[in-house]
Amino acid sequence: MMSHRASRLQLVLVLTLLLVLHFYLRPRLGSSRVSPDFLLIALMLFAMRSGPGAGALFGFGVGLISDALTPAQFGAGALAHTLVGYVAAWGRSVFFADNLLVNAAFVAAGLWLRDLVLLVASGTGAGTLLTELTLYSPLQALTTGLFSLFVLFAFREWFSIRLDA
Amino acid sequence: MGSASERSYTRRDTLLFLACLGLSIVALFSPPDWGHGIANALRNSVLAPLIWLQARGEEGRTGRDRFRAVTAQRDSTSYIAQGLPSLLAENERLRQMLALSRRVSTPYVGAEVLHQAQATDGRTLLLSVGQRDGISAFDPVVAPEGLIGVVLSVAERTSIVMTWAHPEFRVSAFTVNGNASGVVAPSGAGVEAALEFRGVPYRDSVPLGSLVLSSGLGGVYPKGIPVGSVTGVAREQTGWERVYRLLPAANPGSSAHVLVLVAPTGADLAPAFPTDSALRALRRDSIARVRRADSLADATRLARAVRAESLAAVRRDTTRRRPPRARARPDSARPAPAKAPPAAPPPAPLPVPGDSAQ
Repeated sequence: MMSHRASRLQLVLVLTLLLVLHFYLRPRLGSSRVSPDFLLIALMLFAMRSGPGAGALFGFGVGLISDALTPAQFGAGALAHTLVGYVAAWGRSVFFADNLLVNAAFVAAGLWLRDLVLLVASGTGAGTLLTELTLYSPLQALTTGLFSLFVLFAFREWFSIRLDA
Repeated sequence: MGSASERSYTRRDTLLFLACLGLSIVALFSPPDWGHGIANALRNSVLAPLIWLQARGEEGRTGRDRFRAVTAQRDSTSYIAQGLPSLLAENERLRQMLALSRRVSTPYVGAEVLHQAQATDGRTLLLSVGQRDGISAFDPVVAPEGLIGVVLSVAERTSIVMTWAHPEFRVSAFTVNGNASGVVAPSGAGVEAALEFRGVPYRDSVPLGSLVLSSGLGGVYPKGIPVGSVTGVAREQTGWERVYRLLPAANPGSSAHVLVLVAPTGADLAPAFPTDSALRALRRDSIARVRRADSLADATRLARAVRAESLAAVRRDTTRRRPPRARARPDSARPAPAKAPPAAPPPAPLPVPGDSAQ
């Protein structure tokens, strides 16, 4: 049985890796509108393995980072990520959180929800909102879900993921 | 007990969520300046290492793009450089052609040798000029090196040239020193791109390397066009004639531009085709002229610089305030006479050096 401290250390390592990938690898991947959002994967992984309050707090932090780095409406990212973190932590008790594909789909759904809240809170126009939510968000959700699948598979021992999906 | 701790856990989570939600909403509806201030503070403190990391990532992507651009430029340059030798060669030939056109005293038309789709044996050439340009049959065709051939047939815009490799080609010729004359014709079948100098009397011997020029007899080719140089004796009939082998002066296969001599007069064209040594001398002479011009230009430049310097020095002297001129005492300037006449005026002050400059 792995100790709580070791499990927390492993989670911190994975989150740090995702943070580095987000800021170092993502700019090299080409179009930022469809490339995987590593920070959101980190948020979902953290939220699904912690309480709703911690998930919301972590989401608030991630949202502040995105608000500080993207020229959008300040606070919209914090709001969206807070909601996603909170919902993801609650959703853990509803879904089969130990299943690989369910986790990946959960990450993809979280990204789409994040985009929805972010765009609405930013006051985006209806046309752009529709385009983003029906074209770019699903594409980015797909790539993000696929990469989360890879991360969960690579660190399945740390996250106690079942492979009999 | 379990339900109480679970309730407290849930309450704490809810409080945290509500706090974060409230902060987010406050940030969302706060004045833009506040948001920018907080964002700037975050970027300059906590997020600085992450921004540095992101900048490195962006550099990697842009570096890759730059590498692609540089590679494309290098490939383009290599492609251009591949054609450079042929361009230089063509440029040199055009220069030679231009020099020839200046030297030729008869009317001429410049023509381009058109590339033919099929591989030809070099016996005929297709030119880009025709009747419209004043070309007519039997006009001689020359290159900077010498004789190429004669116009065989003419169309409206094109013409066909029979080169010296054609079996029916003949030109009356003589050696440059005038000690032998004959007829130049292409060598027989099986001999690679050579000419023969036929009909030379047996008693006349032609030294190797002698230049053979067209003689002007027959009225087709003007006098003095180089045809070839003697490389040896092809055959001889004892007591009758010698046939010499000639190295052709001009190569039709490598000619891209030629001159068609229209209505050639009886003028001697030999000066238009100087020998290699004469060309070298001309080149040396032109180089010497360029060097002389360069030295003259240098001297002029130097003289201007010296003049400008001296003018500047004079201006400096005149603009600087002069010290008060010392008055020369008459007794120190020259020995006073023992008894000076009373009406004599006082001696003038000595001239000070530099007055002339004013």
